[in-house]
Amino acid sequence: MTELFTNPLLLLCAVIAFVPLLAGIVLIALFPKLFLLVVKNLRRNLLRTVLTTVAIMFLVFMVTVILTVVYTLDLFTTEKSKDFKLIVMERWQLPSQMPPTHAKYLDPDPKNSQFLLDRKDVTPNDFMSWSFYAGSTEPDPKKRNLNNLAFFFVMNPHHIRPMMDDLGDLDPKLVEALVQTRRGCLMGRERMEALDKKVGERFSVYGLNYKDIDLEFEIVGQLPEGRYNKNAIMNEDYFTQAMNKYALKNNGKKHPLDMKRLNLIWLRVPDDATYKRVAAKVESASVFADLPVKCETASSASSRFLEPFRDLLRIMKWLVVAILISMSLVVANAISISVRERQTEMAVLKVVGYQPRQILAMVLGESMLVGGTSGLLASTLTFWLFNSIGGIPFPLLWFAFFVPWHALIWGLAIGFGTSLLGSILPAWSARSVKVSEVFAKVA
Amino acid sequence: MASNPIVRVRGVHKYFTRGSEQIDVLNNLNLEVPEGEFFGLMGPSGSGKTTLLNLIAGLDKPSEGEVWIGESLVSRMTESELARWRTRSIGFIFQFYHLLPVLTAYENVELPLLLLPLSSTERRRQVLTALDLVGLSDRLHHRPGQLSGGQQQRVGIARAIVTDPILIVADEPTGDLDARSAEEILNLLGELQKSLQKTIILVTHDPRAAQRAQRILHLEKGQLVESQAAPESATAIRDLVAARPSEGIQKDRR
Repeated sequence: MTELFTNPLLLLCAVIAFVPLLAGIVLIALFPKLFLLVVKNLRRNLLRTVLTTVAIMFLVFMVTVILTVVYTLDLFTTEKSKDFKLIVMERWQLPSQMPPTHAKYLDPDPKNSQFLLDRKDVTPNDFMSWSFYAGSTEPDPKKRNLNNLAFFFVMNPHHIRPMMDDLGDLDPKLVEALVQTRRGCLMGRERMEALDKKVGERFSVYGLNYKDIDLEFEIVGQLPEGRYNKNAIMNEDYFTQAMNKYALKNNGKKHPLDMKRLNLIWLRVPDDATYKRVAAKVESASVFADLPVKCETASSASSRFLEPFRDLLRIMKWLVVAILISMSLVVANAISISVRERQTEMAVLKVVGYQPRQILAMVLGESMLVGGTSGLLASTLTFWLFNSIGGIPFPLLWFAFFVPWHALIWGLAIGFGTSLLGSILPAWSARSVKVSEVFAKVA
Repeated sequence: MASNPIVRVRGVHKYFTRGSEQIDVLNNLNLEVPEGEFFGLMGPSGSGKTTLLNLIAGLDKPSEGEVWIGESLVSRMTESELARWRTRSIGFIFQFYHLLPVLTAYENVELPLLLLPLSSTERRRQVLTALDLVGLSDRLHHRPGQLSGGQQQRVGIARAIVTDPILIVADEPTGDLDARSAEEILNLLGELQKSLQKTIILVTHDPRAAQRAQRILHLEKGQLVESQAAPESATAIRDLVAARPSEGIQKDRR
């Protein structure tokens, strides 16, 4: 909710959404009979009203989907000024494949004697390291498909709550279960459904990116609904043990990827100054001389990752503008026809004493009632629909986009805003009806 | 008949321009209508009857001259002032009724009252009185489409009188009605004028309708030409009022 006051665009949307809403409520309370007239006018040509509503709902639906994607990616790529994460990765290769010893140098745990930085000088607040393990529950390579694949974040369970995005509120009992059950894993709902597994069940995974590293798992808990629906988290100790077992089985010969199994290291720093000093020290550290590393903020890394999609994102933003213009035109068309049909009635209202501004308000009220209702309805449906099926799927990325609660404000604002824009000219023409001319035409 | 003129039109000139051509509709026109008079305005099509009516009702402004209604200089008012003034001061009856089709008879009559600071009880009382006066108490919840032409015009009249205006203007109120309905409407207007002492300006080119007026003027080439009211019309109105006591009419309304 605090984002409402820190995000200027959202605040603008909230103003566009709530000012007309409050004004509408006040006007309805003051002039219920005129509101009834507005509703009756909309019911007069029900087909036109319904078609306009459906058109606006469809367009708001599209805008909400696009804005959800853009908003989420913006979140990833927006630099934070405080308490943000930085990524340490291999300097010259993507995906980064570092030796597991690299993590030891950067873990600020007071018990870690190998910590690279001077704790009295500058140090990160927290730390985690990731390896990625992917496999299939199907031993036969020919039968492997998306439904029997599983992707695991390999990490220290104690770092899940403080360091993983959106998992700060994870039940500590699940973390403890992952610590206690060495073969345990936490899995997202969609992945469990795809694998047809439930919490408490055991299953085998045959390694894909780590050949001959086949692991037995027990699902000790479900990850919260959201961005991890398709993923799983496993204990890094189990992975290390599996690598050691491989060496034992192969006469001491380590797995080819054993010294390349650390993919990313994350450090949490309190501010930009700390980030710069930590980054400078890490990048110039002699312990990393053989395999140089680089530091980036999570947002800049995300920006770099999304670079190939930048044009696509730009097109999506312009698409939103085009849709908003189309919506205004849809409303303008419907209201123009309606006003033209009712010119005589507008004139009669003037004759019986209605002020031009009251006629303007009634026409705007009609359009904004349709626009606001359609916008709110469409965004609520979009919110409910996509969030109940696990987010908006985006084939180019590994995660789905969840529609934020802001979408309800967007929907209302878009509905009100576009209907206001679309109906200003027709409403003004209704307001400016020349009574004598209208009746001269009628006669 | 009261002698105080409620309508004063002084030196009114109204012209329209079509391209570079100026078309004079009313030319240095002067008119006074005393309070409580049933005044008839006749003339051929295009003579400017409706234009004069629009000027008096504050729906249009003269190119030159002044229009006073009571103590209000209508021709100098802004559009907002005119709107406010019309609500309280003018009742307009149209040839084609012009009721809002989505509203019931009751709601159509209530429409002007929504602009006044009245409680819902007061509003209801006035609407019911107006509809009772026009004999439509049993058609409150009928929409215009469910009423005959004559009944629709009665609703139009109820809408015109519901705010108790000082002046009622009727533009060809019988022009779209059959002879029987037209007769009923004219009787009703006459009754209203007699019972409520309303000033009525009736524009028509139907001589039979005009005969109901106490005074008739002809508009020809933008100028008014006086003529006499038929004495039998006054007798007819008196007979009608005598035959139908105005128990629902409240002379002492605001």
